[in-house]
Amino acid sequence: MKVKASYHRLDPTWCNGCGLFGVFDALKRAAVALAIEPEELVIVTGIGCHGRLNNYFRAYGFHGLHGRTMPVATGIKLVNPGLQVVAVSGDGDAYSIGLGHFLHALRKNVGLTYIVVDNRIYALTQGQASPTTDFGMVTMSTPVGSKDYPIDGPSLALAAGGTFIARGFSGEVAHLASLIERGMKHDGFALIDVLSPCVTHNKLNSYDWYKKHILHVEEVPGYSPRAKAKAWEALNDPEKIAVGLIYEEDKPSFEELVLPDREKPIASLDLKVDVPRLGKIMDGFR
Amino acid sequence: MLSNWPTPEALEWTSQDERSMIKDLAVMIAGKAGDGVLFTGNVLAKVLKRHGWEIVTSRDFPSNIRGESTCYTVRASLDKIYGLSDQVNILLAFDCEAILAHLPEIAANGIVFCDGQGMTTPPPEQTLGRTFHRFSLRALAREQFGQEIFKNVIALGALSYVLDLDASLLDGIISEMFLKRKGEEVVRKNIQAARFGYDKAREITAETERHPLAKKADDDQVLISGNEAIGLGALAAGCRYFAAYPICPATEIWQWLVHYLPGFGGAVVQTEDELAALNMTLGASFAGARAMTSTSGPGASLMMEAFSLAGMAEIPAVIAHVQRMGPATGMPTKSQQGDVLQWIFGSHGEFPRIVLAPGTVGECFELTVRAFNLADKYQCPVIILTELDMGQNFRTTRAFDFSGVRIDRGKLLSPGELLGTADFKRYEITADGISPRSLPSWKNGVHLAESLEHDEKGYRDEDPLNRRRMMEKRMRKLDQASPDFCAPQVWGCQKAEVGFIGFGSTLGAILEAMEQLRAKSVPSRFLQLRTLWPFPAAEVRAFLAESRDIFVVEHNFSGELATLIKSQVSPCAELNNILNYSTLPFTPREIVEPVLRSRR
Repeated sequence: MKVKASYHRLDPTWCNGCGLFGVFDALKRAAVALAIEPEELVIVTGIGCHGRLNNYFRAYGFHGLHGRTMPVATGIKLVNPGLQVVAVSGDGDAYSIGLGHFLHALRKNVGLTYIVVDNRIYALTQGQASPTTDFGMVTMSTPVGSKDYPIDGPSLALAAGGTFIARGFSGEVAHLASLIERGMKHDGFALIDVLSPCVTHNKLNSYDWYKKHILHVEEVPGYSPRAKAKAWEALNDPEKIAVGLIYEEDKPSFEELVLPDREKPIASLDLKVDVPRLGKIMDGFR
Repeated sequence: MLSNWPTPEALEWTSQDERSMIKDLAVMIAGKAGDGVLFTGNVLAKVLKRHGWEIVTSRDFPSNIRGESTCYTVRASLDKIYGLSDQVNILLAFDCEAILAHLPEIAANGIVFCDGQGMTTPPPEQTLGRTFHRFSLRALAREQFGQEIFKNVIALGALSYVLDLDASLLDGIISEMFLKRKGEEVVRKNIQAARFGYDKAREITAETERHPLAKKADDDQVLISGNEAIGLGALAAGCRYFAAYPICPATEIWQWLVHYLPGFGGAVVQTEDELAALNMTLGASFAGARAMTSTSGPGASLMMEAFSLAGMAEIPAVIAHVQRMGPATGMPTKSQQGDVLQWIFGSHGEFPRIVLAPGTVGECFELTVRAFNLADKYQCPVIILTELDMGQNFRTTRAFDFSGVRIDRGKLLSPGELLGTADFKRYEITADGISPRSLPSWKNGVHLAESLEHDEKGYRDEDPLNRRRMMEKRMRKLDQASPDFCAPQVWGCQKAEVGFIGFGSTLGAILEAMEQLRAKSVPSRFLQLRTLWPFPAAEVRAFLAESRDIFVVEHNFSGELATLIKSQVSPCAELNNILNYSTLPFTPREIVEPVLRSRR
């Protein structure tokens, strides 16, 4: 029996009201729901306010470099596929400096749960425009308004062959927790993009603003996350931001395809030097 | 056209007795990319190896699949050799251009076979005693076997005749290469083509032109490239995760491992770039695998970022860097030693790292095994630094001794050892600076691998005192490590005024040069560095003190090793640089001449 406290190491010191509190809570709720042992869970984070998560969450952790969560998490998952590997990034981490890694881990369908906490701003560096910042928004780096058009992670994921694409909202923790839980159970790559207000550096995309703009796909009559065309339509709605499980399909995971035996993880192989077998390989050079 | 031929320089070389058995020779195969030069050279090297000879090959290829000049030299000797000589005895050229380019290298009694359409036999004053034969390989292949591609096997048959080799050697290799992949008919036709070439050569050459090779028993030798030896070393050392991005000339390590790792329960992953390759290696290592990546040139620059992460988070990692010619994209198919200081002083921040530099294919194997043990023991990144010349060329060596391979995972605990632990400290401050490691999934071992400065448990800590203590802990890990490193090797005379210092694949040319100097009564010694970092300052200081004239031999422009020596040994004796930044590896002559000049 696991409770939220099983995963609680320290009280976070994010700004009061930060969306990351919702993500922190939702991640714990998902872990409780699946009764994951803290030592079976690895949380890989990038650089940004979200990167502090490892300090607060009790589990194995890897806080690496800016944008590089995906290759690190892939290496961990392939070496020990029994682990629940969750990567957490911000919008800068996932959709700017780490965009290439994101799309490649996704197209490989590595069994990772990728939570992208999108606050539409670079917050830790005090408020510069991010790849998801609205066009025209004034930030520290764009005093006359951003001239870059924003990109949308879930749309990229759908185009690149994602097998589990969801979007949640920090202001709806129970809903977000259920998406993370489903993502963890998905055998393959699960993207959970999170609309997450930055109360300090982004006064535009507030909790109220999101509440007015989100649309739950599960409430749309006839919506099925198995229909790609519907998913595309939902993601491209000019008025509303689609949240919920947007798209899902079954495809073999990368671990299933490349590992000789998922039941014999690389992490626990006996590395004994097999002299006769190596000698036979050597004979090929005679 | 002949008037354009370069005037050959008179080469000094120790000639064989032309009538007796040959004990050392070099054969060059030349042509255009796409002519099958690589295939022909590889097969010839294998034939000569099975004849019992020591082999060193060298390839000069353009960074192009088709159309530009390429050549492949096979040097074979009865004695142990490590490099090329200065001359070529037999040149087999698929076009005239190749002869123009290589005439100066051809020995005075050398033979040239050339498939040059419209070529006239050159007058004797322009050939300086070299024998020329027009050998219409393409036309013969078309006429006799219906396809031009048979020209390569015809050429190999002809060389078998000239070198008086047992025809069954070539037949055997043809059959090994083609039987499984292409079937009996292809084998039969190729063996026929080889016989045809053998007979044709008998027809067009005089008996006196043959270079009959003395026979020697094959005493447990293998023919292997540096890249393959690194792959085999990794496999033996228990590497079970390999991630890389394709790049010349490192890719063969991966292409070799990809056939074996899955059979040993491991995985090979092609990443989207080298940033991912090293980060993925670190993730795999953190989770418990012995993990490795390989790269060259621009890929190494991309890895600089995660190199620092490996240092800070204290994650074992092995990186094989097969150097090519830079800067930038440079010349991807040419060898160089221009990336030494990058690994020793590169990346942001200060952290311990180990840089190993094998000088022979045997050392490629041994140092790779050692690299994995050092990475685990010292929990830091270890670089195996080679060059294209070492990585892609083939050399004979004694078959590797796998029974001597030991796996030492250092302070990696076991789940059992953690049972009673209540307060595991992944970055515990210890006397030797090395802390215990646990792996994800192990109870009581929960920790954070942290790229930020951290406390003993791995959690972010910006306290000034903690920073000092953690920095000192990491930086002292290698203080007592020198017994674990491969000490420099001293070659040559015990007492000699001339001392060479070098590393990596220049070893072959340096040893050849030492032989030539000895023949001129100039004894010399050679200090071969096998660990470049931590720098073996004591050994280098002693060597400098015992030598009068010191020559640092490097395949780069600025003398990176000499710069390193001067920064680590103070006061430092005067160092003479022998540098080569051309597209070809050193020839012995390029080392002998500056030494002789300095003694005039």
